Amino acid sequence: MYFAAVFPAAVAAQTCAPDWKGAQQVQSERYVVAYRTQPEKVAVGRHFAVDFAVCPKPGQPVPESVKLDAFMPEHGHGMNYKAVVKAAPAGHYHAEGLMFHMPGRWEYIFEVGSGGKVDRAVRAVAVE
Amino acid sequence: MSVGRAILRTCCAVTLAAAALPWAALAASTPGVIAFTDAEIRAIAQHGPWPVKAPRDPSNRVSGNAAAIALGERVFFDPRFSVRGNVSCATCHIPERHWTDGRKVATGLGEVDRNTPSITNVALNRWFGWDGANDSLWAQSLRPMTDEREMGASDRHVAALVRSDADLQCRYRKAFGSGPGSDDEAVFVDIAKALAAFQETQVSARTPFDDFRDALVRRDFAAAGRYPESAQRGLKVFVGKGSCNLCHFGPNFTHGEFHEVGIPIYRKTGGVDWGRHQGIKQLLASRFNLLGRYSDDAARSTAVSTQHVVLAPQTFEQFRVPSLRNVALTAPYMHNGHLATLREVVRHYSVIDVSMLHAAHIYLSGEDDIAEPPPTDKLLKRLDLSEREIDDVVAFLETLSERGGPRKNARPPVSTPCR
Repeated sequence: MYFAAVFPAAVAAQTCAPDWKGAQQVQSERYVVAYRTQPEKVAVGRHFAVDFAVCPKPGQPVPESVKLDAFMPEHGHGMNYKAVVKAAPAGHYHAEGLMFHMPGRWEYIFEVGSGGKVDRAVRAVAVE
Repeated sequence: MSVGRAILRTCCAVTLAAAALPWAALAASTPGVIAFTDAEIRAIAQHGPWPVKAPRDPSNRVSGNAAAIALGERVFFDPRFSVRGNVSCATCHIPERHWTDGRKVATGLGEVDRNTPSITNVALNRWFGWDGANDSLWAQSLRPMTDEREMGASDRHVAALVRSDADLQCRYRKAFGSGPGSDDEAVFVDIAKALAAFQETQVSARTPFDDFRDALVRRDFAAAGRYPESAQRGLKVFVGKGSCNLCHFGPNFTHGEFHEVGIPIYRKTGGVDWGRHQGIKQLLASRFNLLGRYSDDAARSTAVSTQHVVLAPQTFEQFRVPSLRNVALTAPYMHNGHLATLREVVRHYSVIDVSMLHAAHIYLSGEDDIAEPPPTDKLLKRLDLSEREIDDVVAFLETLSERGGPRKNARPPVSTPCR
């Protein structure tokens, strides 16, 4: 489950090189997403937050909406909690309420919408 | 164990641990210790150390307060808090039975639909009740007092008793700083918070498994070798072929969430127990949840799960994954006591028909909000354990229980007047 955040285009114009310790990057066809978790090390069964920035690749439109979800492909289920995405300073986004309730392979799924299309940027992580 | 064998084990432990070889290589040369992979050792290490110290509950201003704990203990054993004066919390949560009752389903004033869970280690829970309908221990403690099948009382009954009994009134004043006020519901909630403070003190003792786990972590072969080999083999199934540790995760052997595991959900009294789905609805509708005015946590730091929980299709027929600590002492098992022994539980997972998971809500319910089928559950699978493997897993589960009989402090409090 996820919560969509819809923002004006001007808000989305931002850097994709935020000065974040432990930041990771993941790409879709049209966008680069840089993110970090808070806390940096995600523990099983503990809520955590994600800060992220979404950057259009050259010639691509600015995002009109963003969502964040997570899924365990091997188990066939997602989180029991929905992440709520809000606008953050410097044109970034802040997602709260995530929890990986089981150990194993999880996938972060960033969905970025614009121009009637939705891009998915997926990053797998191992959680012990 | 012979002296020579003990020396051999000690020598092996010191020499080989220093060489930093993989456990499998070390264990293969050590009598009494089976081979675990490094991944298995990491998984086993996650089940400790024990005990875990639960933090104070910010939503309960008397959590950890000695006077509140004493009041809560008094209330826990006092049948006057029931409408007919004959049922207390201890009627079902019996100290000598490790705070359970040994029945399939609880019986207070009448028969309830679900099995009595132990209150041991309950302070570590995120959700309370088999369906997680409450998000705090104090809110959960309100429920049985007013359930007509359990204690059948009301906030008015509880508040009147506290105001009229000199000893209770004295204890209330010591716990909360002033006497019970005129608001029945506020007094009722305070009594539940005292009950929670008492229950938070119930922590299970260390077990043979904890000694083995710690020995494993420090690569102490001599100590590890004292753990029964059958239990070691069962543990290997638990963290390997069985993947039991994915849900029964961490030091308390539960990830604190919910799962559908193929147990019948029909109530004896008729109808279906939808479990977590109904629990979330009740939680969000409750004025006693952590988003409500009775939470003492002004920052709502404890309410994150309540704010973000999802009423998803897969929550039908789900029940809370219980802790396995003291599991051999708390039969029968599952949310409705459907399985009588640990062997039956292990056999259930060995032969489980996963095609029947979530079947009831798809085929039997006419509710509008369940049109969407749940995602396919890929986690549970038929384990097809051999008889020996079943024996081994049971042997392992039996080592998760504390040694000895009832706990020393598990008796009704001695009557000492409050001054």
